[in-house]
Amino acid sequence: MSKIKWLWSIRLGAIALLLSFSAASAESPLQINSDAACMKCHKRNGSMLGHHGQDTMKMSCSSCHGEKGDHPKKPNDLVVFSLQEGSELDKQLAVCRKCHTPKKLSAADWTHNVHAKKVPCAACHKLHSATDPMAEMTPKVRSELCSSCHAGKQE
Amino acid sequence: MENSKRRFLKGTCALLAGATGATLLTTVNAAESAKAEAEIKYAMVHDESKCIGCRACEVACREVNEVPEGVSRIEILQTGPFGEYPNQFYHFSRKSCQHCEDAPCVNVCPTGAAFIDKETGIVSVDAWKCVGCQYCIAACPYQVRFINPVTHAADKCDFCRETNLAQGKQPACVAACPTKALVFGNLKDSTSEIVQVLRANPTQRAKVALGTRPKLFRILAKSGEVVL
Repeated sequence: MSKIKWLWSIRLGAIALLLSFSAASAESPLQINSDAACMKCHKRNGSMLGHHGQDTMKMSCSSCHGEKGDHPKKPNDLVVFSLQEGSELDKQLAVCRKCHTPKKLSAADWTHNVHAKKVPCAACHKLHSATDPMAEMTPKVRSELCSSCHAGKQE
Repeated sequence: MENSKRRFLKGTCALLAGATGATLLTTVNAAESAKAEAEIKYAMVHDESKCIGCRACEVACREVNEVPEGVSRIEILQTGPFGEYPNQFYHFSRKSCQHCEDAPCVNVCPTGAAFIDKETGIVSVDAWKCVGCQYCIAACPYQVRFINPVTHAADKCDFCRETNLAQGKQPACVAACPTKALVFGNLKDSTSEIVQVLRANPTQRAKVALGTRPKLFRILAKSGEVVL
């Protein structure tokens, strides 16, 4: 009798353990998404899934976007990464350059060299999605990306 | 007797005159048709000052002409970077068939598979005639020929002669170029865009000293360094 009880308790324990794992993975896989101050409002924007949000990187929202300051009041010092509606170009570039040196960027792809002062990184790169659209591109997609800005220009 | 001799002579003379006249007429006709055939001479300009190195031309060519991976009819060669970060730039030049008027590949081809299309001046390959001896690949001073792994025949740019051009469209690379760095057209038509571009810009061609008379023109980028 005691043996059967013991076996059952092991089985139940295992099921509970499995359930807890699955619940945890469905909820929030990355630490950065439990940043209460930001996620209280920004949950609707979706969660941060990209490489920069990995736990081992030990980054928070403010690592890139800057301290909260007066936000959500305007004006504030938060950095918005975008080609169209972003912060000033120099401000955006300065954040990325803290880690990504020109030398490394140049080695990764030659196009970094010719766009260095002209467009923000976010014009091509997307950091919040699980995969950066620039990570793996077919030659066709790549050339189409070039055309999306350069079409019709004489330079 | 007297009469029959006269009739014979008359008949012969008439026949000779007729035959000569007919021959003359056909020669005149042939000359006229030869003249009509040579009314098109296709050429291309690559404006390197407009090229951004996006390689849309390479992609489009591969798609339209069904060029297998690993080989290509057109390649954009890239040199650089020049200058100091963050003010750097690159040079791009097009490597593809130059459509020589005196083409070494055509001259050496033992089967007549490599030929110059009389109507358009395009240097082309008849894949069915090609035996794959690769003599043309060795002879081409611009090194643009290759053996197509699918057809096992020599292959290269033919200005889309069998694909886009046959359908009345511009070559795939020209149509795909986002900055309009490629201009294709008829050199014999003085109103064509290519003639206007050639008149308005200083152009260069590769290895003219060889006497191959290439028809791929390049407009050099304005700023740049000497690359040795």
